[in-house]
Amino acid sequence: MSVLVYTENWEGKFKKLSYELVSYASSVAEILNMKVTALSIGKADEGELKKLGIYGAAKIINVVSQQLTSLDNQAYTKVIADIALKEGSGIIIFSNNMTGKALAPRVSVRLKAGIGSGVSRLPVSLDPFTVYKRAYSGNAFAHVIIKTDIKILTLAQNSFDVVEKPTGAVPESFEIDVEESLIKTTVTDTQKQSGKILLTDADVVVSGGRGMKSPDNWAPLVELAALLNGATACSRPVSDEGWRPHEEHTGQTGKIIAPNLYIAVGISGATQHLAGVSSSKYIAAINTDKDAPIFEAAQYGIVGDAMKVLPKLVDAVKNMRK
Amino acid sequence: MLRPYYTPNDYTLTMLRQIIFALILLITLAVFAYTLNRLIKFFSFTRPAFPIKDPGKRFRLMLRVAFGQTKIFRRPVIGFFHALVFWGFCVILLGSIEMVIDGLAGTERILHVLGPVYNFIVASGDIFAILVTISIIIFLSRRLFMHIKRFEGIEMKRVSHIDANVALSLILLLMISLLTMNTGYVGYTTLSGSESYGVYPVSRLLARFCTTMLPEDLRLMYNISWWTHILLIFVFANYLPYSKHFHVFMSVPNVFLSRLDPLGKLTNMDNITREVRLMLDPNTAVATSSADIPAERFGVKDAEDVTWKNYFDSLSCTECGRCTSVCPANITGKKLSPRKVMMDLRARMKEKGPLMIRNGKDFSDNRSLLRDFISEEELWACTTCNACAKECPVNINHPSLIVDMRRYLVLEEASAPGELKSVFNNIENNGAPWQYSAEDRLNWTKDLGFEVPVFSELPEGREMPEYLFWVGCAGAFDDRYKKVAKAFATILNRLDVSYAILGREETCTGDPARRAGNEMLYQMQALQVIEILKKYNIKKIITTCPHCFNIFKNEYPDLGGNYEVINYLQIISRNIDEGHLKINRQSLQDVRITFHDPCYLGRANEIYSEPRAIAGCVTDNYVEMKRNKSFALCCGAGGAQMFKEAEKGDREVFIERTGEALATGAQLIATACPFCMTMITDGLKYKNKEEEIKNLDIAELVVQAME
Amino acid sequence: MKILVCISNVPDTTTKIKFAEGNSSIDPSGIQWVINPWDELSLTRALELKDDASSGVKSVTVAHVGTAGSEPTIRKALAIGADDAIRINSNASDAYYVAAQLSEVIKKEGFDVILCGIESSDFNGSAVGGMISEFLGIPSVSSVSGIKFENGSPVLTREIDGGRESVRVPVPFVAVVQKGIAKEPRIASMRGIMTARTKPVRIYEPSNVENLTEIAGFEKPRPRAACKYIDPENPALLIELLLNEAKVI
Repeated sequence: MSVLVYTENWEGKFKKLSYELVSYASSVAEILNMKVTALSIGKADEGELKKLGIYGAAKIINVVSQQLTSLDNQAYTKVIADIALKEGSGIIIFSNNMTGKALAPRVSVRLKAGIGSGVSRLPVSLDPFTVYKRAYSGNAFAHVIIKTDIKILTLAQNSFDVVEKPTGAVPESFEIDVEESLIKTTVTDTQKQSGKILLTDADVVVSGGRGMKSPDNWAPLVELAALLNGATACSRPVSDEGWRPHEEHTGQTGKIIAPNLYIAVGISGATQHLAGVSSSKYIAAINTDKDAPIFEAAQYGIVGDAMKVLPKLVDAVKNMRK
Repeated sequence: MLRPYYTPNDYTLTMLRQIIFALILLITLAVFAYTLNRLIKFFSFTRPAFPIKDPGKRFRLMLRVAFGQTKIFRRPVIGFFHALVFWGFCVILLGSIEMVIDGLAGTERILHVLGPVYNFIVASGDIFAILVTISIIIFLSRRLFMHIKRFEGIEMKRVSHIDANVALSLILLLMISLLTMNTGYVGYTTLSGSESYGVYPVSRLLARFCTTMLPEDLRLMYNISWWTHILLIFVFANYLPYSKHFHVFMSVPNVFLSRLDPLGKLTNMDNITREVRLMLDPNTAVATSSADIPAERFGVKDAEDVTWKNYFDSLSCTECGRCTSVCPANITGKKLSPRKVMMDLRARMKEKGPLMIRNGKDFSDNRSLLRDFISEEELWACTTCNACAKECPVNINHPSLIVDMRRYLVLEEASAPGELKSVFNNIENNGAPWQYSAEDRLNWTKDLGFEVPVFSELPEGREMPEYLFWVGCAGAFDDRYKKVAKAFATILNRLDVSYAILGREETCTGDPARRAGNEMLYQMQALQVIEILKKYNIKKIITTCPHCFNIFKNEYPDLGGNYEVINYLQIISRNIDEGHLKINRQSLQDVRITFHDPCYLGRANEIYSEPRAIAGCVTDNYVEMKRNKSFALCCGAGGAQMFKEAEKGDREVFIERTGEALATGAQLIATACPFCMTMITDGLKYKNKEEEIKNLDIAELVVQAME
Repeated sequence: MKILVCISNVPDTTTKIKFAEGNSSIDPSGIQWVINPWDELSLTRALELKDDASSGVKSVTVAHVGTAGSEPTIRKALAIGADDAIRINSNASDAYYVAAQLSEVIKKEGFDVILCGIESSDFNGSAVGGMISEFLGIPSVSSVSGIKFENGSPVLTREIDGGRESVRVPVPFVAVVQKGIAKEPRIASMRGIMTARTKPVRIYEPSNVENLTEIAGFEKPRPRAACKYIDPENPALLIELLLNEAKVI
């Protein structure tokens, strides 16, 4: 029996979350005395595939198909399920990202495998097989028992550390043919944001709210984010006013992110905003109002004027880098 | 030898004159009857309004507002001249009655038999004639040569201006003809020595300029003027119903038929109450037939949906624009104009009325008052501040029509600005306009240093407290207003008042839903609140929020909730007066304070003096803003505006009002409402003055100053 | 074109979650139940499509797995504008069970477009929609932020990392829908509320399906450590803490 981990690739490359997944899969495999097989669909670079071995993948499979030009849930599901059966996988691991959410449920039905979705820890028990997952939008955690022989887990982003466990595995690439009739979706147009670090990928996010007073005040915030290799975000009123692009809006009705560090500048911390960032490892807040609810959610806080504090923070980071 | 007045030839002439007069009168009356009949048919399409009760109160109101011109005097200078014209008309009307009798009976100045009374009336008429002439000349000059803002507007098309000038010109001619008539009369009776009836102080002076004229010519002047005058009256009378000057006929009855309720009160929709009771009763959850569903439209979409009083209002509207000139939305550049709402109704009925007469009430011309005349943007800009209704000299009530149209949008089309839909969902799901759990309603009571009694936690057997302190959603959840709740609880505690709060059992009164037109959600909330209050047998409610105050006092009784409702300012004021609450005048060191009147306390409920009395206790340096008491400018948050983005305009109401407050030089702006406080504080932040100028609630002021 | 919107019944977002019976299930007292917010947005979009004559959508049905206690939520969906409803009379035990039940009924009644919210605010499962599509052997598209019809053909907008794409798919299909699908939720009109009482709710008894997972119990999240305040005159200290203590920069 093996642990199959689905490692999505983006134009042939992997991201930090891929390594988190493999690290997690590797730890799970260790507990169960199994080996990890990493599966990627769509041509990936040889060098990139080898990296998966560094994080514990004993077997690395790259499946390429002429017919699969874009994500088709039904077709991908069949490919993954077929390989899972061939590899005798007892556990299949996906990320709880958009692709994972699209594929895991279908694979679950196809293989009659129970799902633990959005897990953030290693299984808390093996018999019964129990996982720990977020419920009630973060207000509680549920212990879920998966009763089936084959089990599927989707891992919450940024909840497991990347750990190196080199196996020296050599990637295997092969081509398969997928029945045309199985592929029913066609992508006709793609629009992508250019260049910037994706908000959902960033380790550090610096976010501004109404307390910034004006869109003209954003320069020090953008500079701080850049110095910390992070992304910029904003609260809803700021994106509604058009001060910042809509993509930056984090919150219940915007993006839900879980970076290592979320710096909230001039954000009061209303529940709707916190719902989008409460899974962050650390929250630091800067606000003039000492009673602002954000300080209840933050680990670090400065009660002060952002316009005065931000430039000092920028200087401090510059000094630190020297 | 003096020529006798009547000769045999004159006799036939008189007969002829009587016949001609009678014919003209008949034609006039016929035309008038036709117009009246048409209008009555239009009225027949409208819906019932409130019952007309309290004739005594109405009569006194009519004397005050219509005859006393009290609303007109809100603009004292120009109001004075209008009052002259109105009083002049009343007096001259009596003279016109005499002219009709004279015309039919062939007599002359027949009412002289009334003796000294007649002299008085006629003399007054003569004086008023010149006063009115002067007034009209002033009015015409203003219209023709000055740029008066309230005469302009998108609804004021060329025809409105022509109408106004024609009417004024007709009145001018009426006055001139009256003066020439009287002058001629005085002239020829003096010169010919014939009997003269009546006293003409002004015309007697004018007659001095005519001494060079022959008596026959003066008599001619008299006759021509007489006929001109009475014919003008007949023409005028028939022109009026088609003109903005219909208010000449309609204003006095419109005032008599006024809504007597406080301005803050909205009418209950009884057809909704029936439906809500069905929904709240679990026994009726089973499907009933579609036949049970009332066919009558909820709210107002078109002319036939308004009440007869709305239509009466629209006919009484004189397009003066005073309402629009005090509308906070209009002042700040939004599309809403209360005058336009009334003019649009009149115009739409004029358009659709004839079609309905011809084709039946259900006829549709694929147009409607909503959207084709009054846009949604206008309706959603209203703050329900009642400045327009307060200002209107003929007591037109615009807000009730605006809310009735919102009711149509929400109840029939489920249409409302997105933010308000979220507010409706929040009130329905968690009992407050914002997303907060009812569990958190007691958070503000922590760390007070004393216990705030909660009804559900009172020990068994303890006597029920005298008052319910209704905290409201802002007091419980708004971070700034929690401090005001704490302040007032501190005062209640100091005064050892017997009270308790509902705590987690409190839920939204439904006010934001009702102002936004969601009558159904409001009634659901209200009926639930009434049940909770019944549980504890609550009779007296004290509240810190004017919106809660208004709704409990004026609107809950319609649904069976009858309580003695007291505003917190009244309790504080009373206790200061009775000496139970001692205020240290020096504690605030005569800081300059100004008070912003909340619309729902002021205009809506006529409470102006208590906050000022209290402010006067804590400082000697109290100043009024330019627009204060019933003239106060709204903060901009009412009518559900607090919960939505402002409609497009050129500036924000709250910035306008904060600017006005700052112009007094006050160091402290006092408010008595959670919405006003949010707006004024935001205004201070916008102007970067939040460090130097404070915005405090009256309760907070009292706590600071009390010993 | 017939649209089916799968709805689940969840506690309102402001509810304070409490547990009963030794933390094994949620304490239902005082809970205000509402339509799962993502499902509400799907329903709104479905109704918008129905209102648009050019879309070809003729009816919108809602389906729910739940006991009679869910009736008010179903009525609310009908009041907002759904034409009829399906209730499978059973407790919703897990995503697989729910998806299986719904799939049986969908097979019986037949729908062209099936909309499911990407997650429910109670279980945060993100599984039912995908599972239904696999049970029925039809295509699914996930993370859908837009649906429209062009000449009777469905065109979906799918969110991807750093952007979005247009996807074409034939009917029948399942769209797993997220924020962006509709701008704001609908409210029920008065007539909607009144006619909701008369709209048909078809009740099905559940088929024999087992659930693949089970909830053993709940746990409250550990309270976060209190905030450490840094003097605003010396913000550099924050950077030091983030570097050496939290180790996040």
